[in-house]
Amino acid sequence: VARLEPVDVVVVGAGLGGSAFCARLSERAPQLRIVCLERGDWVDRSTMPAYRRDWQRAAQGAWSTSPNLRLAAAETSPSADYPVDDSASPIKPLMWNGVGGSTITWAAHFPRLHPSDFKTRTLDAVGDDWPFSYFDLEPYYDLNDTAMGVAGLAGDPAYPPKRPPRMPPLAIGRMGERAARGFNALGWHWWPGDAAINTVDRDGRRACNNGGPCLMGCPIHAKASADIVYWPVALENGVTLRTRCVAQQVIVQAGRAIGVAYRDQSGETHEQPAAFTVVACNGIGTARLLLASNVGRTPDGALGRYLMFHPIAYARGMFDEELDGPRGPIGSCIYSHEFYEPRPGHPFRRGLQLQVTRENALLSQASRLQPAWGRGAHSLLREEFRHSLPVMVVAEDLPEASNRVVITKAVAADGLPEVRVEYTVSENSRRILDFGLDRATDVLGAAGAKRVARVPLAPLTGWHLLGTARMGDDPARSVTDGRGRCHAVANLVIADGSLFPTVGAVNPGATIAAVALKIGDDLAREFVG
Amino acid sequence: VTSPFLSAVVDTLLPGDQGSPPLPTGTAAGVATKLAQVIAGPDRAVPDAVLQAIAREARGEDAFVRADAAGRIAVVRQVEAGMPGPFQALVALVLQDYYEADVVLLAMGWRVQPPQPQGHTLPPFDETLLAPVKERGRMWR
Repeated sequence: VARLEPVDVVVVGAGLGGSAFCARLSERAPQLRIVCLERGDWVDRSTMPAYRRDWQRAAQGAWSTSPNLRLAAAETSPSADYPVDDSASPIKPLMWNGVGGSTITWAAHFPRLHPSDFKTRTLDAVGDDWPFSYFDLEPYYDLNDTAMGVAGLAGDPAYPPKRPPRMPPLAIGRMGERAARGFNALGWHWWPGDAAINTVDRDGRRACNNGGPCLMGCPIHAKASADIVYWPVALENGVTLRTRCVAQQVIVQAGRAIGVAYRDQSGETHEQPAAFTVVACNGIGTARLLLASNVGRTPDGALGRYLMFHPIAYARGMFDEELDGPRGPIGSCIYSHEFYEPRPGHPFRRGLQLQVTRENALLSQASRLQPAWGRGAHSLLREEFRHSLPVMVVAEDLPEASNRVVITKAVAADGLPEVRVEYTVSENSRRILDFGLDRATDVLGAAGAKRVARVPLAPLTGWHLLGTARMGDDPARSVTDGRGRCHAVANLVIADGSLFPTVGAVNPGATIAAVALKIGDDLAREFVG
Repeated sequence: VTSPFLSAVVDTLLPGDQGSPPLPTGTAAGVATKLAQVIAGPDRAVPDAVLQAIAREARGEDAFVRADAAGRIAVVRQVEAGMPGPFQALVALVLQDYYEADVVLLAMGWRVQPPQPQGHTLPPFDETLLAPVKERGRMWR
């Protein structure tokens, strides 16, 4: 093992959390020596499939959002994946492993949590309060908005007043307009989504041209991602990024983290000593590394537990008129928070988001039909393609200790223990989805759908990997404090979505980055006051 | 595997239709030719196993070719029930080739060019639609 020159901070993971953290810490404390280890590599945008004639099949292979599907495709994917045993989870984890992390393949739908999401225990006697409030985090949301560039519209009554977005909203298209008329007919809330997608040329990045398949990467740089937003800043500030380096262990001695052992691309093992160790590998990768390192691991401890996704169901309305099909950024159109906050009479705790998305590409739509072949399949596709409108029901998952990430005794090819997800959709989440499907059906009916097809649970929607190293004041129910510091090892910091005590019912990207920026500030104060 | 058998299987899975414009059969869209290349190559194991099962179920490739549409469908359904995983893999394979074919994309009212560089045009956002929502009071807690 080659022992390297000690640094002040070693960060594991160059995804959204790790990159925002590195950029902020290096800005606030420029004298620090910061090294970031990333298991994957930079993505070459010229290899992204959106320019190719075979782009549709790429979504089922090397550019799938699922690491398991990418590995199964037996192709060379630009993502440095490890297999996740998801056989005990109806929701399949999705992620990207490389510089920028899952922002490479995210939809860039960019909502914030609601203020109530930070105090669910106090307000609704469920879940746990965050150690800080929405308004404590608000400056960091604003910082992140500035860095990413947000397209949207000010004035949404579902949120406290916030700084107006710097760019006008994305076009909502015929699908968004059709859905909006349905929401209006019912008197329900809706609003055009905030998106980390340029609608005007800005910061050297082009405006979105509605190409569509954001989940295979954005080769025109219209969609923000951590590799093109935060890493240029961090590198300019002097952060060292080592790619294709797989962390094997956080080394702890006498209750303090002394650094990270990692394997480089040649297979050689190094030890990077550091005063502080920061882990930001997402809700599965972070738990995997810390469990493998035996850090804060107790039989009933919170580490690895309280895994939350956002369970998702769909209602898809079929219309006579031609709609947009797969035109426009797939995840960002309009949303409704009519049922986000609890109300008396709801048959569940907490709430949901109704999110109108764009449609999938022709092959993707054909591939999920039942029957998948024969005249029946052709007939269904004729009815659906360019004539359907999906409304996604996004449920707030509540923290359950039994939903968890575990490691096994087997060793994976990357040198770490194999990882397994054990997850059950709770009764409460199921009730939210069923209620939401009924409301989605209502809105599609009000919008004029001639038929509605329902998908009770969409398996390939495990984008949001949250809660497995949660923040809190009680070491028995949490892994870190509100500054991301591990209760068991004070100089070990976590800076990703693993920290979330609860998850609301919206995409977590904006909050992951805001929390990582705050944790960067918190650690900077250690050095610069 | 004979060429007529391969075509018969492909066209049972992808029969096309007489819509406007009509969808071609799988063979007419070039899928059988591409499947023949796959089963001559290193990735042949799964599709070959399914094709052999179809031939066995039909009591021979020729018998499958001679069968009418209903007879072919019945055979294929038996194989689908007997080996769902490999069968789904074969269907996924032929769907990829079919829905990437220019003639199919055009028949479905789409274009043959990929999403970039030209992108797509969408109508501008009509903010007046939001008028009733803007009249609502604070919803957040």
